Amino acid sequence: MDGMILISIALPAVAGILLLADSFARHLKASGTVGKKPVIKEMTGKQLRGMHAFAGAVMLISAALTMIAAWTGERSLTLFILLDKIPVCFKIDEIGRLFVTIVTIVWLLAGFYAFAYMKHEGEEKRYFGFYLLLYGVLVGLDFSGNLITMYLFYELMTLTSMPLVLHNGSREAIMAALKYLFYSMCGAYAGLFGIFFLYRYCSSFTFTAGGTLDAAAVSGHEGLLLIAVFVMLVGFGAKAGMLPLHSWLPTAHPVAPSPASAFLSGIIVKCGVLATIRSVFYIVGPDFIRGTWVQYTWMTLTLMTVFMGSLLAFREPVFKKRLAYSTVSQISYILFGLSLLTPTAFAGALLHTVAHAFVKCGLFLTAGVFLYKYGYTRVEQLKGMGKKMPVAMWCYTIFALALIGIPPTNGFISKWYLAQGSLQSGINVFSWLGPVVLLVSALLTAGYLLPVTMKGFFPGEEGTETDLRKDEPSPCMLLPLIILAVLVLLLGVLPNPLIQYVTHAAAVVLQ
Amino acid sequence: MDFVRNLPFISIILSLFSGPLSSILNGKWAKRVNTAVISVIGLMSAAVLVYVLHTGQEFVYYMGHFPAPWGNEIRVGILEAFMATFFCIIMLLCMLGGIAERQKEIEESKQNLYYIMVNLLLCSLLALIYTNDLFTAYVFVEINTISACGLIMIKQNGRTIEAATRYMIMSLLGSGMLLLGICFLYDLTGQLLMSSIKEEVQLLAASGQYHIPLIVSLGLMSVGLAIKSALYPFHAWLPDAYGYSTLSSAAILSSLVSKGYIFLLVKIFYRVIGFNVVCDSKVINVLFVFGIIGMIMGSVSAIKEKDIRRMIAFSSVAQIGYIYMGFGLGTEVAVVASVYHILSHAATKSLLFVAASGLTDASGGSRHFRDLTGAGYRNKPAGVAFTVGALSMVGIPMFSGFISKLLFAQAAMGHAHKMLPTLIALAISTVLNAVYFMKTVIRIYTPVPKNPDEATVNVLPTTECTNISAKEQPVKFVTLILFIILNLILGLNSEPIIRLIETGLNMFG
Amino acid sequence: MSEICMLIAILLPLFGGILVPLLSFKSRRIMLIYMETVVVLTSVLMFLLLLGRPEEALTVFRFTGNLSITLRIDGLGGLYAGLVAFLWPLAMLYSFEYMKHEQNEKSFFMFYMITYGITLGVALSENILTMYFFFEMLSLVTLPLVMHTRTREAILASRTYLYYMLGGAAFAFVGMIFILTYGTTSSFVPGGVLDMVKIGDRTNMLLVIFVLCFCGFAVKTAMWPFSSWLPKAGVAPTPVTALLHAVAVVNTGAFATMRVTYFSFGADVLRGTGAQYTLMVPIIFTIVYGCSRALKETHIKRRLAWSTVSNLSYILFGVILMTPMGLTGAMAHMLFHSFMKICSFFCAGAVMYKTGRNYVHELDGFGRKMPRVFVIFTVSALALMGVPGLCGFVSKWNLAKAAVNSENTLAYIGVAALLVSALLTAVYMLTIVVRAFFPGKDFDYETIRDVEDPNWMMLVPLFVFAIVIFIFGLHSGPVIKLLAEIAADALAG
Repeated sequence: MDGMILISIALPAVAGILLLADSFARHLKASGTVGKKPVIKEMTGKQLRGMHAFAGAVMLISAALTMIAAWTGERSLTLFILLDKIPVCFKIDEIGRLFVTIVTIVWLLAGFYAFAYMKHEGEEKRYFGFYLLLYGVLVGLDFSGNLITMYLFYELMTLTSMPLVLHNGSREAIMAALKYLFYSMCGAYAGLFGIFFLYRYCSSFTFTAGGTLDAAAVSGHEGLLLIAVFVMLVGFGAKAGMLPLHSWLPTAHPVAPSPASAFLSGIIVKCGVLATIRSVFYIVGPDFIRGTWVQYTWMTLTLMTVFMGSLLAFREPVFKKRLAYSTVSQISYILFGLSLLTPTAFAGALLHTVAHAFVKCGLFLTAGVFLYKYGYTRVEQLKGMGKKMPVAMWCYTIFALALIGIPPTNGFISKWYLAQGSLQSGINVFSWLGPVVLLVSALLTAGYLLPVTMKGFFPGEEGTETDLRKDEPSPCMLLPLIILAVLVLLLGVLPNPLIQYVTHAAAVVLQ
Repeated sequence: MDFVRNLPFISIILSLFSGPLSSILNGKWAKRVNTAVISVIGLMSAAVLVYVLHTGQEFVYYMGHFPAPWGNEIRVGILEAFMATFFCIIMLLCMLGGIAERQKEIEESKQNLYYIMVNLLLCSLLALIYTNDLFTAYVFVEINTISACGLIMIKQNGRTIEAATRYMIMSLLGSGMLLLGICFLYDLTGQLLMSSIKEEVQLLAASGQYHIPLIVSLGLMSVGLAIKSALYPFHAWLPDAYGYSTLSSAAILSSLVSKGYIFLLVKIFYRVIGFNVVCDSKVINVLFVFGIIGMIMGSVSAIKEKDIRRMIAFSSVAQIGYIYMGFGLGTEVAVVASVYHILSHAATKSLLFVAASGLTDASGGSRHFRDLTGAGYRNKPAGVAFTVGALSMVGIPMFSGFISKLLFAQAAMGHAHKMLPTLIALAISTVLNAVYFMKTVIRIYTPVPKNPDEATVNVLPTTECTNISAKEQPVKFVTLILFIILNLILGLNSEPIIRLIETGLNMFG
Repeated sequence: MSEICMLIAILLPLFGGILVPLLSFKSRRIMLIYMETVVVLTSVLMFLLLLGRPEEALTVFRFTGNLSITLRIDGLGGLYAGLVAFLWPLAMLYSFEYMKHEQNEKSFFMFYMITYGITLGVALSENILTMYFFFEMLSLVTLPLVMHTRTREAILASRTYLYYMLGGAAFAFVGMIFILTYGTTSSFVPGGVLDMVKIGDRTNMLLVIFVLCFCGFAVKTAMWPFSSWLPKAGVAPTPVTALLHAVAVVNTGAFATMRVTYFSFGADVLRGTGAQYTLMVPIIFTIVYGCSRALKETHIKRRLAWSTVSNLSYILFGVILMTPMGLTGAMAHMLFHSFMKICSFFCAGAVMYKTGRNYVHELDGFGRKMPRVFVIFTVSALALMGVPGLCGFVSKWNLAKAAVNSENTLAYIGVAALLVSALLTAVYMLTIVVRAFFPGKDFDYETIRDVEDPNWMMLVPLFVFAIVIFIFGLHSGPVIKLLAEIAADALAG
C-alpha cells in the first residue's frame, strides 16, 4: 500500500509529461522539416475537448488517490539512496496531510477554472502539461520525509512552475518568469547553505518533531549554526515573499494567467512556509533558536513585511499586482506566527495558511474573471462590476472580508489565534507589537480591498444601463469561486474540527 | 710515453699552422683544408678523451721536455679532452651549416682569410682548454679576441665593422683586466704555472695574508672574463656582432668563443685559486647577482626584438646569465650545472642560428618577424629544427635545456639563502624564454593568409617568399639533423655526461 | 606482463595519430574508421588495465640517477585514466561530424589522438618527473589544436595559451625540484614524501614553494589570476574546447594539484598553514569570478569557458581543504563536471556546426528546431546548477560537506561562494534555455527555418552524456564510496 504515495506523485507527473511531449511533438511536426513553411495547427474543438477530458480525468483520479493516500493511515516510503546515506523518502504526517489537502483543493478548483479561462491564452496543452506535472512535484514536496527529498522537490517545483508564469510568451512575461526563477533559486541556494551546515550538526535529516540537532556536535559552534539557520530562513522566505527577497511576487503575478497566479499565490508561496516549518521545527528544533537574535530578526523581518506589503498594496493601481502585494503581506502573517515558536501561534499560522490559500486563490480567480471577460486590469476599471457580475462580486466581497479578518470568515479565526499566540508568547516588545502591526495591516487590507466592492456595487452616476447589463461568466469559472467562498464561510462558522487538528499538530511539534 | 699524449699539442700546432697554409690556397681549397683540420683535431681529441678515460687520471705534457717554470706545460684531464672534442664537433657543424652564406656574403678574394681566422680561433680555443700556464692562457685569450674580430668583420658592411670595433673595445677592456689580475697574482705568488700558483694561494689564504689583493686579483680576472663573455651589463656589443656577421661567425661566436672564456674562468677557479677560496670570497655573490639580472634582462631585450637573429643573440645574454648564476651559487653541483649548460647552450644556440638562417632564406633573406610568417612551411627542416631549439631553450623535457635547468634548480636547492631567488629567477626566465621563442615558433607556423583582409594585412610578408626543400640545401639539412641529434643526446643521455663533468672537475681540484 | 600494456596504451594513440597524415586513405570514411578503431582499442585496453590493475611500476626510461619516466596505475590515476578513456571515443565520434566543415582535418586528428596518449601518460605517471614531462608535452601537443583555424584570433589565442601553459610549468618545475631534493623519493606516495629531517627549520621555504608549485599547476585549471587563457582558447574547434579545455587539459591541472598536494608534499604537513589560506583565497574568488564573467559574456562558447573556470576552482577548493572528504569532493567534481561540461559544450558545438550561430541572443526559438540538442543542453544546465537528482548536486554536496566538516572559517566562505556561483550559473545557463524554448509569442520561426538537429554521430555522445548525468545524479553511492576509498588511501601515509 505504500506504493500509493508513489502513484499519487507519479500519475500526474507522467500524465503531465505526456501532454508536454505531445505538445512538443506537434510543434516539431509543424516546423520540423527544413524548407517548408511552418504551420502550427490550432487544436480543433474536438481535440481540445479530448484534452480537457484527459486532463480532467487525471486531475480527479490523482486528487482522489492523493487524498486516499493522505488520510488513510500512516504511510512511508523509501525509494533509493540519493547521497551518502540519505534516501529519497516520503512520510505522511500531520503537516504534510494538511498541506496536501489544501494543495489538492486549490489545484482542482484552479484547474477546472482554467479549462474555461485558458481558451484565451492558447497553448493549452503546454499549460496543462506543466500544471499536472507541478501537482506531482507538490505532492512529493508535501509528503517528503527528509530534508534532502524536500529540497529535491523544492527545486523541481521552481522549475516546473516557471513555465506557468511565462505562459503568454510576451517579453514582459519572460522577464518576469526569469525574475521569479532567479529569486527562487537564490532562496533555494540560501536554504541549501543552511542544509550543508545542518548536515554537519544534525544526527539525521529525517523529519523529527522537535529537531534532530546533535547537542554534542553543536556545542562551541552555536554562533556559526545560528548564522546558517538565519540564511536558511531568509532563503526559504524568498518563496514565501518575505523581505528582502519578496519582489518577484508583484512582477510574476500580473503577467501569469490568472489561474496560474491563483495557484502561485495560493500554493507555491505556501511551500516556502512548508519548507520553513520543516527546517525550523523538524530539523533545527524551535528550542535552538528561541530567544536568540535569529528569532528576533526573523520576527522583525516578518512584521516589516506584513506592514510594507499592505502599504504597497494600498497604493497599487493594478489589480493583480495589488493582490500580489497583499500576498506578500499575508504570508508574513503566517511566518510571524511561526517565528513566535509557541503552540497557539503555530496553530494560528497553520490556520492562516488554510485561510489564505482559499482566499487568495479566490481573489485571483475573481480578478481572472474580470480580465477574461473585459480585459480589465486596473482597479478603477472595475466600477460597476457588481452590477454586471453580482455573483462573482459577492464572492469577491466574502474573500475580501476574510482577508481583512471579519467574522464569520476563516480569516477571523486565524488572525485571532495569531494575535493570541503573540500576546501569550511573552517576548517583551514583540508580544504587543505583533498584534498592533496585524491590526494596522488589517485596516490597510480593508482599505485596498473594500473600495473595489463599493465601486463595484455602487458605480455612481456614470454607468449607463446597457453597460451594467448582467453578464455572468460561464459556470465553469463561476463554480470554483462559489465553492471557495462557501469553504471560506464554512471554515469560519464551523472552525472546530480544523482548530482541533492544527492544535494537535502544534502540540506534536512543540511539546 | 704513449703517443696519444702528444695529440693535444699536435692538435694546437696543427690548427695554428693550417692558418698560414690556408693563406696561400684559394677559397675552395682553404675550405677543404679547414674542414679536414677540424675533423682531424676532433678525432684526435676524441682519442685523447678515450685515453684519459681509460687511464682514469690526467697527464702533463712538457713542451720540449722542459719542466716548469722554464718550459710550458699542457695538462690534459677528462674535462679538457671532452671540451676539446665537443668544441670541434660544434665548430665543424657551424662551418658546415654556414657554407652557403659564406660564399654569398664574403668576397671571393677574402674567402681564404676567413679560414685563417677560423683556424686561429680553434687553435686559441684548444690552447685555452689545455694550457696549464696562466700567461699562455692570456696570450691565447688575445689571439682569440683578434680572430673573433676577424670573423665578425669579414662580411664587410657598416654594421659589422661597427660591431667589430665595439667588440674589440669591450674585449680589450676585458683582457686588460684579466692581465691586471694575472699581474697581481704573479706579484703575490711569483708563479705563472697554474698548479704552482694554487699551492701558494692556498698558503696565503690559510694564513690570511694579502687577503684584499688576492680578492682584487680574483675579481679582476672574473670581471675581465665576464666582460669578454658578454655577461650583462657588458653585452652591448653582442647583438650587433652576432646579428650582422655571417652565419658561421655568429654561430661560432655565440657557442664557442664566449664558452672558451668561461671555461678558462672555471680553470682559474679550480686550478689557479682553488674553489674553496673562491667560494669564501664575495666575488661569487657579484657574479650571482649579475647572472640573475642577465637572465631576466637578456630575455626582456629579446622579447622586444623584431629581428630573429638579434633575438637569438639577446637570448645568449640570458643564457650566459644562467652560467654565471651557476658559478655564483658557489657549490660543486652548481658548477657542474654551469658546465653542462655550456654544452647545452653551445649545441642549442648554434642550432638556432643555422635554423634561423634557413628560415630567412625562405623569406627572401629578411630576418624581420613579419616576413617570417609561415616560414616553417616553406622550409620544413629549418622549421622543425628551430622548434627543437626553441623547446630546448624553454626547457622542455627530452631536450638538453631541460637537463641544465634541472641541474641548476637542484644545485639551488642546496643553498640556504640563494635558493628562492634562484628558483624564482629560473621560473621567470623560463616564462620569458617561452614568450619570445614560442612566439617565433607560432609565427613561423602561421600560414600566409591567401586572401588578406584588414585584420591580417599587417602580418603579410613584405618580401618574396620561396619554398626551400631539403634537397636544395643538403649540407644545411644534414647539419640541422646532426644538431638535433646532438641536442637529443644531451637531453636524453645526460647521466654519463654529467658524471664525466663531475670526474673532470674533481681532477681539476 | 601487463605492465607493458600501460606503455602500449600511451603509445597506441600517439603513433596512431602520427600515422594519420602519413598513411594515404582511400576515403574519408576509412580514415575515420581507422581512427575510431585506434581510439576505441586504446580505451578498451585502458579499461582492461583498470580491471586487472598491474601492481608493479614500469620504468620506461631513466634520465639521471633517480629521475625516470615510470608508469603505474593507482587509485587516483586509474580514476582519471578511466574518465579520459571513457570520454575520448565519444568525443572522437562527435568530432568526425564536426570537423567536416573545418580544414586540415588530418593534422587536427593527428594531434587530437596524440593528446589522448599524453593525457593517459599524465594519469599513469608514477613519479613527479613523469607527470611534469607529460604535463609539458600536453601543452605543446594541444597548441596546434588551439591554433587550428589559423586565423589571426586563433594565433593570438594560441600565443596566450602557450605563455600561460609554459609559465605555469616553470613554477611547477620549482616544486618538482623541491620534491626531488627534499623528498625521500620522487614517486607519488600517499601522505607525501617530504623528509622533514632534511627540511629542518625551513618550513617557511616549504610553504612558499608549495604555493608557487600549486599555482603553477593550477594555471592549467585556469585559477584566477591565470584564467584568461581559457576563454581565449575557445577559438579552437568545439571538440577541442569541449574535450580539452573542459576536460583533459584543465583536469590534468587539477589532477596534478591533487598529486602534489596529497602524494608529494603531503596534506598533513600543509593543513592549517598559511599556504592553505593563501591559496584558498584566490580559489574562492575564482569560483565567483568565473561565474560573473560568464554572465557578462554573450558568446556561447566563451560563456561556457568562463563557467569552466569557475567549476574547476570547485575542484581546487576540494583539493585545498586537505581532508579525505575534500579530496573525495574534488574527485567527484572532476568526474561529474567533465560529463556536464563536455555535454553542454557539445550542444553549443552542434549549434555552431549546424547554424553557424555563436551568440546567445541568436538562439531564440532553437529549442523547437533542435529539440534533442536543447533538451540535453537543459539537462546539462540543470546539472551544472546543482539541481538534486543530477550529478552536479552530488559533487557540490560532497564539496560543501567537506568544507563544513573542515571547520575552517575560510572554507565556510567557500561554501557561500559555491552557492553564489550556483545562482549565477542558474542565471547564465537558464537564460539560454528559456530563450531557446520560449522565444516569445511574436517570434517568427521562419527566420530559423534552416535549423535542425545534427546527425547520429553528434547525438550519440550527447545522449550518452545525458544518461550518465542522470545515473550519477540518482545513484552516486558506489562512485562516491570508491572515491572516498581512494581519498582515504591518499591521506593514509
